[in-house]
Amino acid sequence: MFGFLKRFRKKSPWILHYNTGSCNGCDIEILACLGPKYDLERFGIVNKGNPKQADILLVTGPVTKRARARLLRLYMQMPEPKVVVAVGACACTGGVFRYMYNVENGVDRYIPVDVYVPGCAARPENIIEGVKKAIEIWERKKKERIELPKLVEGVEGEPLDRRTLIRQLEEKFCKRLPGEEEE
Amino acid sequence: MKAILLLVALLSPILGGIVYGIERKLKARMQNRMGPPLLQPFYDFFKLADKRALQIHSFHSLMGIAFFVAAWFAVFALLVGPNILVAVFLHVLALLFFTAGGFSVKSPYSVMGALRELAHILAAEPILVFAVIALYLTTGSWDIEGILSSGKVPLFEMPLLFAALVLTIPIVLKRSPFDISEAHQEIIGGAEIEYSGIFYEAVYTAKWLEYIFIGTLIFLFGGSNYLIGFLLVALTFLLVWLIDNSTTRLTVHHMMKFAWGVLLPLAAFNVFWIAIWR
Ligand code: SF4
Repeated sequence: MFGFLKRFRKKSPWILHYNTGSCNGCDIEILACLGPKYDLERFGIVNKGNPKQADILLVTGPVTKRARARLLRLYMQMPEPKVVVAVGACACTGGVFRYMYNVENGVDRYIPVDVYVPGCAARPENIIEGVKKAIEIWERKKKERIELPKLVEGVEGEPLDRRTLIRQLEEKFCKRLPGEEEE
Repeated sequence: MKAILLLVALLSPILGGIVYGIERKLKARMQNRMGPPLLQPFYDFFKLADKRALQIHSFHSLMGIAFFVAAWFAVFALLVGPNILVAVFLHVLALLFFTAGGFSVKSPYSVMGALRELAHILAAEPILVFAVIALYLTTGSWDIEGILSSGKVPLFEMPLLFAALVLTIPIVLKRSPFDISEAHQEIIGGAEIEYSGIFYEAVYTAKWLEYIFIGTLIFLFGGSNYLIGFLLVALTFLLVWLIDNSTTRLTVHHMMKFAWGVLLPLAAFNVFWIAIWR
């Protein structure tokens, strides 16, 4: 039964695209993949924009400190089976932003990444190849819930599990928007 | 006749899926793209069945399934069941289930989508009711078999109402310029945003049923001349998809003004004219 259903995975992967503070170069290339020239929709790939219905998370950007909590949240809101593709040099290692005071040097410090797509900006052909690889990995994944046992470095450098980290990060960064301080 | 109608009603999710596949393909061709394969909606369907379902709470999920069931009942009432007026009311009921589901979660996009969905109901359903009343006035029958064997073609007596109905279809199917409650770039699907896995599947499939529901209503305007009916359905859907591809989204106020200021007077004028003239 589930073998039968699994066969349809590669025919309809839905994408969620999240920008963690990239320069928009890679985002434009992702949109170019979905446009008339490369037309990923002929493989059934659509950009869903909704984590609850998406299968593949395309992350661009070096993960700025403000984007961390949202990145974790989006990852946790996606139902299994799911795969993550880091698009661009920034998302893989931090790229030109590496070691800057406001970035986290790549996506894999916070969420498990399945495919790295290099390039600054990543070429549409590379992105398509990366998504293809991601689909191959995705076909082997299970439906069971992925627990995240690996501890990550917290805000103060102490080891934390991701759920606690989200709460801490949101308290520290997300409430400090202008106008919200008085509450 | 009865057997064919029953068969169409039973197979309506599959037929609706095929119509949706055709729509995606045609729209891609209009944008100079290849487009997905014709059976893409079914591939999506099977894939969604294999995803883990994240539930918000049981009422929310139940409303998603109730939306699908009530939409199917509406198609049944239209094609087999008591009469076509009941079908329109069941259609409203289905949308109300969907709205209730949208209101029951905290997500702002979901609540906003549900609010806009109510505006859609207000804008579109009166015209559907007028269409059904006009069908009765011209053919003298409330049920589909009576209309199909009445020997009349309702289109010739109600051109204005038919024009109003065609322009209502973007509101019912949530196509541009009236894709206000769905608005994928703005509120990411509106009331459907919190559904996932098998529950999203119910909502996704319920939308296919609307094609059959609306398509049948259009077909009835051909009366007992089936060729005119089929032509009407094909041309209407083509027109709706063309409009969808070439316009941008309007606001709720535009939609309400257009529906209540232009479409409803057109429909009402046509119905009263027929009622007095007969
Ligand atoms: S990899 Fe290069 S193009 Fe892509 S987001 Fe980073 S800096 Fe921009």
